[in-house]
Amino acid sequence: MEPPDDAIPDRPARETLAHLRARIAPAEAASGPVLPLGAPPLDQRLPGGGLALGAPHEIAPEDVGDEAAALGFLLALLARRLAEGPGEALLVLAPGHPLPYGHGLLALGLDPGRLLFLEAGDDVEVFRALEAALQAGSLPAVAGLVAEGLPLVAGRRLQRAGAGTLLLILRPAGAGRPNGAATRWRIAAAPAARDGAANPRPRWRARLERCRNGRTGDWLMEWDGGAHRFDLPHGLAGRAPAAGGTPA
Amino acid sequence: MPVALAAAGPGGLRLTAVDAGARALGLRPGEPLGRVRARVGSPLRILPAEPAADAAALERLCLWAQRYTPRVAPFGPGEDAFGLHLDVTGACHLHGGEAGLLDDLERRLAAGGIPARLALADTPGAAYALARFGAAARSHVPPGGTAAALAELPVAALRCDAATVIALKRLGLKRIGALARAPRAPLARRFGAALMMRLDQALGLRPEPLAPIPETARYGAARSFLDPVSRQETIVAVARALMGQIAPRLAAHGLGALALRLSLHRVDGAVKALDLGLASPGRCPDRVAGLLRLRLDRLGAALDAGFGFESIRLDVTAADRMPEAQGMLGAGPAEDGIADGTAALAEALGQRLGRPLLRLGGVASHLPERADRILPWRPGTGPAWSPAPLPPRPVLLLARSEPAEEVLALAPEGPPRRFRWRARLHRVAHAEGPERIAAEWWRADGPARDYYAVECEAGRRLWLYRSGPHAAERPAAWFVHGVFA
Repeated sequence: MEPPDDAIPDRPARETLAHLRARIAPAEAASGPVLPLGAPPLDQRLPGGGLALGAPHEIAPEDVGDEAAALGFLLALLARRLAEGPGEALLVLAPGHPLPYGHGLLALGLDPGRLLFLEAGDDVEVFRALEAALQAGSLPAVAGLVAEGLPLVAGRRLQRAGAGTLLLILRPAGAGRPNGAATRWRIAAAPAARDGAANPRPRWRARLERCRNGRTGDWLMEWDGGAHRFDLPHGLAGRAPAAGGTPA
Repeated sequence: MPVALAAAGPGGLRLTAVDAGARALGLRPGEPLGRVRARVGSPLRILPAEPAADAAALERLCLWAQRYTPRVAPFGPGEDAFGLHLDVTGACHLHGGEAGLLDDLERRLAAGGIPARLALADTPGAAYALARFGAAARSHVPPGGTAAALAELPVAALRCDAATVIALKRLGLKRIGALARAPRAPLARRFGAALMMRLDQALGLRPEPLAPIPETARYGAARSFLDPVSRQETIVAVARALMGQIAPRLAAHGLGALALRLSLHRVDGAVKALDLGLASPGRCPDRVAGLLRLRLDRLGAALDAGFGFESIRLDVTAADRMPEAQGMLGAGPAEDGIADGTAALAEALGQRLGRPLLRLGGVASHLPERADRILPWRPGTGPAWSPAPLPPRPVLLLARSEPAEEVLALAPEGPPRRFRWRARLHRVAHAEGPERIAAEWWRADGPARDYYAVECEAGRRLWLYRSGPHAAERPAAWFVHGVFA
């Protein structure tokens, strides 16, 4: 009896597939250096235990009016990265993004003396500057504050240029588009923590909307600028994801 | 023996210049040589005029005069004398003031055997007029005294053409003072705008830009081609080779280039100049080539090569001391002054985007909007910041504080309960404050402000202030000044 028609092409196809899988396996498994956020329930969801260095991470405000919260989250990530070692971080700002206020950066635990700024003329210039900074490879962190969002091609170029550098993109609320970002965060303002300390600690409602090779989630995050660490306040930590998340 | 120069002029050879001895004999430039010979006889040496050598000598004198100021310009068209302008703005104090500078200049020129008439005035036109037509060999006009100093000079001192001078004389306007007092409109109609422009320039009513010689004559190299070049790679390769020629000369003086100018001379005579800036002094040809490549990438088609460039020149326009640095063991001295990657990045961004890298620096001021400032990036560590002020400051400070309207506060001196800002009504859930911030006592601008950090119901936090206390009939205004993260 003859074998079914599809058996003959099936076998080479399966072999090819296995071969291809084997080829891409190292690339997929190779989790390079990461930036842990300091809160285990959060880091467990991220591939490799933190934000992958060298890949673009996209941050967007949840809604119009949450821009300052999203900026604060970005600056907190920069502060955490800069606390790991020496070096400076570069912020490239498209028109519409004002320079942050130095004394306000201090309040977030970020030393303004370790920040470099570049005011770009448009988004294309932002991406060119980021690419140049990534290729130079001397900065531990770079961030681009764009007016339009991260296009697919720019995301790919940045991904190729960056290695070992924390790369953050802050975009306006309504400019989402498919791109090569490793994670996409939606940040909304939340009432600050006031437990008798002199300084209220900022809190943000962070929704991990997309996470390549990881799981999405929704947390109330608290930033401790003195320790450069994110905390998940008690009772709210590890809440079930509100939308788009895969159950554990 | 008296000396005079002669050159071919209308109707045969004529004198073009005479020295003091010849002047004493009654000789003047422009006289026909035949008449001079007949009148004066033998004790006179006549030499052929060499205008090219004169120009070269004037250029050498200009270069020498750069010891006083970087802005030195030889006399231009209309200035019928052999001389130069020095723009000594901001340079006099280095030589003991204006008088000291004139003393020094006079002494050194005399020591060099150069007879000179010096004038220092507010404007190039006035200085020229006094040097050329003034009574004294040296005049020094105090600031603001230009009009008075020029009033008695002949109108020829205004650098207008001979026909205009004759016509003005016919009108009875022989002195600049009389001309300045005459009604302008008829004069302008009769003589055109040029005369008025010269008058205004001399009196300082209209700016007169000088065309200073470039300061680049010290370190430079050029190459010409039989066949014009236009390809980007060729230009970069030539620039690298030129920098290789300049580098040893820079190294011999312990200098590194901070700014370079690449002049591309097109076949049709046009010159394209590209200025390259280096973040730190350097003389490595590869570094210059890399910068130029970035720059040409940015220019793209804007670098209009036309039919090609027939010569390329590279000049060092700014240089700075560059200490010798020991490179890796066995690798010889380090070639370049780039200490860290940030300097290289600043340079690359400067060439690729043409935008400077910035930093934030703290300023000791109570007023929030004055307490930080934007600085250009400089090599080295960033500005030092004092610890965070208490209570904390917002992460974004609005460029101008924006009025908050419909403010409702429970107590007159208390925090607001609700307010409208940017067309949205904000209900305050939590408020901290007040923190009273007043301008420094030596700046009396505006009343003291009472700042509150308020948290709206959505969790967004704003920095508000009330400007001064409430008056009896008019409540004080509220402003939003910043946004917290």
